[in-house]
Amino acid sequence: MTILTIDRTSWNAGLDRARGDYTLVGSAWDADCLGFRELAPDEYPNMEGLLTRLSPKGVVFPPSQIMMTCALKPGDVKQNIYVSEEKLPSPRAVIGIRPCDAKALSLMPLNFDTGETKDPYVLNAWESCTWIGLAVTEPLASDFSTSCGTGPFDESPLDVLLVDDGERYLAKVITDKGTAWARSAGFETEAEEGAEALIKTKKEAAERAITSAISFDRIKEKTVLELYEANHWQKTTFACLNCGACTFACPTCWCFDIQDEVYEGKSYRMRNWDSCMTSLFTQHGSGHNPRETPLQRTRQRFMHKLKYFQDKYETGIMCVGCGRCIEQCPAGIDIREVCKTMNSQA
Amino acid sequence: MSSFEPKIITFLCNWCSYGAADLAGVSRFQYPPHMRVIRVPCSGRISPKMVLAALRKGADGVWISGCHPGDCHYIEGNYYARRKFTLLKEILEFNGIEPGRLHFSWISSAEGVKFAEVANRVIDEVKQLGPARVFIKKSPEESAA
Amino acid sequence: MNRYTETIQTLAAKLLETGDVKTVLGFKRGTFPLTTEPFLATTPADTGELYWDVNCRLNLATYLKKEMGKVAVVAKGCDTRNILVHITENRIKREDVVIIGVPCTGMIEVKKATEMAGGDILYATEQGEEMILTTAGEEIRVPKAQLLRQNCALCAHPNPVIYDMLVADPVPVQTGMDRYADIREIDAKTSDAKWAFFDEAFSACTRCYACRNACPLCYCPTCFVDESRPQWVGKGTDPVDVRTYHMLRAIHCAGRCTECGACESACPMDVPVRLLTRKMEKTVGDRWGLEAGLTLDARPAQDIFCLDDPEEFIL
Repeated sequence: MTILTIDRTSWNAGLDRARGDYTLVGSAWDADCLGFRELAPDEYPNMEGLLTRLSPKGVVFPPSQIMMTCALKPGDVKQNIYVSEEKLPSPRAVIGIRPCDAKALSLMPLNFDTGETKDPYVLNAWESCTWIGLAVTEPLASDFSTSCGTGPFDESPLDVLLVDDGERYLAKVITDKGTAWARSAGFETEAEEGAEALIKTKKEAAERAITSAISFDRIKEKTVLELYEANHWQKTTFACLNCGACTFACPTCWCFDIQDEVYEGKSYRMRNWDSCMTSLFTQHGSGHNPRETPLQRTRQRFMHKLKYFQDKYETGIMCVGCGRCIEQCPAGIDIREVCKTMNSQA
Repeated sequence: MSSFEPKIITFLCNWCSYGAADLAGVSRFQYPPHMRVIRVPCSGRISPKMVLAALRKGADGVWISGCHPGDCHYIEGNYYARRKFTLLKEILEFNGIEPGRLHFSWISSAEGVKFAEVANRVIDEVKQLGPARVFIKKSPEESAA
Repeated sequence: MNRYTETIQTLAAKLLETGDVKTVLGFKRGTFPLTTEPFLATTPADTGELYWDVNCRLNLATYLKKEMGKVAVVAKGCDTRNILVHITENRIKREDVVIIGVPCTGMIEVKKATEMAGGDILYATEQGEEMILTTAGEEIRVPKAQLLRQNCALCAHPNPVIYDMLVADPVPVQTGMDRYADIREIDAKTSDAKWAFFDEAFSACTRCYACRNACPLCYCPTCFVDESRPQWVGKGTDPVDVRTYHMLRAIHCAGRCTECGACESACPMDVPVRLLTRKMEKTVGDRWGLEAGLTLDARPAQDIFCLDDPEEFIL
């Protein structure tokens, strides 16, 4: 592992050099909304360290995606036979992703690769990415990532960790993928000896600045039924409007819905983001709906994130503490409070 | 533009305007064959979502016709329809769908002549606007690009 | 603390103690700056959590359900108009709801506050006519009037129109404001410019349906977007699907919308959804001289007609 120093004045030129080998992905403004997406050839990523409105999950899991298509025209030899529309993505450099968001995306293979079943769309997109994170030096009030097994400087999900140091970036190159990107960009000046210590100081300062935390140790110990049948749910879920704002903003919500759309003699099998907040999500063909009431749906979301996931994968909870749902919930529901209630002794 | 053959989805109420279309036919009144008629029990049956569905699927124009006020078979269906049409017209135009794509008329079953006249007028206006451009659901491929 | 909070708590406690209602529907303080959370108080002890400030942006009429039994609800001017609409639409019975009316001085927009503070807001407090916004670096004071939501700045009915008790004397009602300047501006554009304007304005919409779910008027058991036979609108992010949804929702709410602004406040992507509902509101006023939710004996605009409604557009 090496630490490079990248002068801000040579940053854009480096990105441009790397464009020959990589498609750049980063945060960018669209009207008033900061998003995370593929950048145009003349566009540079926003590096102010702001929280994007939606998480970067769209990079590997687009809101709407064509999975396969089939011809419907009578006489076509491939009539009614679905053909995969999977395209092998070209290498992408994801610039400036928050470490906790990258952590969230690094959990995705848990759901999309069971060993037996692999989702080629997500996994290939994921594999094509080189993750170049930007350490969060000024955490927001809604940030509680340090208590979720990640943090503002978490290197574990990244190939390169960039640290803002005034006139320059310190780039900690962690993996071979990261080395390849740095070489492609022509970033090769090694930082001075004290750089590692400087990053450490900055890391500690950032972690100290995060004042809110959750704990979920007791949730792990309690049984599913104990949590499921607890009598606080009526109160906890009362305000929830059952909209999908939290699920769509969340970097660890990966549920989807498959829809067929027919257009001029061709059928498209699409995968769209879905939300467990809607009653349609669990509606059976028979008419039966196992999660008919708003309470059941809201409870499901928190149980899934904080209990079921923890039990099934042993990688901690399905939340990285990015804080988007807290900022965006129209009804003021705060996952930290819900976690606290679930984790409480009573 | 002269070769443009518009598709116009036409909703006709069973009791008046559909009868008028029949009369126009048996009386040999001429109008171009650009209309696709959908017979409905009453103009009040037409929901804005049906009109939007027609436009989304590529109709170049929509024409809705019912009984004259006071003549509704169900006494007051067309009065409610009139309010719905007002709102529909306003919201579509506000969103940038050209005014000439959406037409309404009251035509009784005795007015075969009026039916042909209005049909010609609607077709003329839609022809002048050219094919629908904006409010059409594109193929998922195109929309993803 | 906002001066209304104490009164709301006292009134609610009394109602629960006497058994006049089973529950009181109000707001409680949010855990995050500039938020509140809808809250149902069921015992007199709960009422200490009831809270009021400039962040009570949601409309509690959304939470009123028939099966709640007798319930008291805290309501701003626009919310009471909505409750009234619910009563005329037979959603709830007048005698089942006790309305704690709040003469309203307006709710603030979080986006404006964040822009004004220039950073992450750590604390926000209301002091008289000012908001004190504290960021990591500084503390700024901003007149509340500068932070108001557009619907509040243009509000014509800040006082409850129907209520059983008021938490304070009615507030002065402003007159002479131009409520539809921005709508007329869009009206004046060419068709193509209008389409392009809304294409951009709605491009951020993720179809999370926060606007629909926050709206008290959207109570259909199955919304048209969820219908599958036929499927009226695709489920993806196609801009035509997005537009279909917003246009139809606006038509459905026409003549019923009371400009409470809950839809726009709920939107996590800052989509200006009210442009469409206000266009409808303007149409209903201009064409039929109606305004929703003002008297119990008026029916919603699409539920009635006049023999001589204007019809110059009909051939």
